[in-house]
Amino acid sequence: MKDKHITEVLDNAALASLSPSELDAIRAHVRGCEACRTAFAAAQISAVMIKERTQAAVEPSPFFQTRVMAAWREQQAVESVPAIVRLWRSSRALVSSMALATVALGALSFMVSAPATTTLDQTASAYSAESVIFQDSDDQLTYDQVINAIYTDDGDNK
Amino acid sequence: MRQAQDGDESAFAEIVRRYSPRVFSTASRFFRQRSLVEEAAQEVFLKAFTQLGSFEGRGSLEGWLTRIATNTCLNMLRAGKRRPELTVSDLSDEEDQWLEQQLSDTKQRSVESNLVAADLADRLLSVLSPEDQQALLMIDGEDASIKEVAEATGWSESKVKVRAFRARKKIREAMEKLLRSRDHKAATT
Repeated sequence: MKDKHITEVLDNAALASLSPSELDAIRAHVRGCEACRTAFAAAQISAVMIKERTQAAVEPSPFFQTRVMAAWREQQAVESVPAIVRLWRSSRALVSSMALATVALGALSFMVSAPATTTLDQTASAYSAESVIFQDSDDQLTYDQVINAIYTDDGDNK
Repeated sequence: MRQAQDGDESAFAEIVRRYSPRVFSTASRFFRQRSLVEEAAQEVFLKAFTQLGSFEGRGSLEGWLTRIATNTCLNMLRAGKRRPELTVSDLSDEEDQWLEQQLSDTKQRSVESNLVAADLADRLLSVLSPEDQQALLMIDGEDASIKEVAEATGWSESKVKVRAFRARKKIREAMEKLLRSRDHKAATT
């Protein structure tokens, strides 16, 4: 052991679990080995720190039991409600707002689309050849007379 | 126990009262902040109550709760971030002084110095994985045997040995680095 570095011995087991003979051998080695001396000091300090860390345990507060039981009752209450009802409760606001938005959009499209159709009809009738002829003429013309009027004019132009 | 499995609330309350110290002690291995320890402990009991039907009574209820506590805390830690390695410039004056005392023969034991040591340990341990921390704290801190750690965690004994070895080595090396850089700093100033 004296000539063998001791880092593996230090890492293999807790320092407190080493036997007196193992510790003596480590001490004998570190007297002549600078690297192992630092390693041994580091292992000793780490061991003290870890001991202190485990001593610092948190104790339960007097209200802990009451808190756990309250949380458990709350959990039970949630679980006793059927899944579909829970789903509805969680998505109620979203579904309602979506339904409201759909109704509002439907109403809006109905209100906006009605005057638009009228305007289109008026535009179409104002610019079609038939309606120009119908409006120009004082007498009531038949459809054939209108067609004739159109094509006769074409022939004259040619 | 049977009453609790049947959903008796007073039996649950009795389980919480009786096993809280054990669950808190397990959670304290992972966390030092009271709020985190309490959060973990509450989650352990809520999980235990919902899974109580699956407890077959082969082992002790305490052992079963300890295992739930270990897994719950490991999951909480895994969700968190690991801290970077501690350097000498991160040391507070108290920590530096505590290290100095450890290196000299004037070791002082007081509530304050113990807290400094525990804080320093916490910071060094945070470079390890939650599982390695668990193995090291149980074996080196609580003098648990390899078998006891294996039972509490559900890992094989060889896995426990490997984890403890790796954790011990990493902590020792981090401490060595800290001591060397302290010496270097002292020599240059």
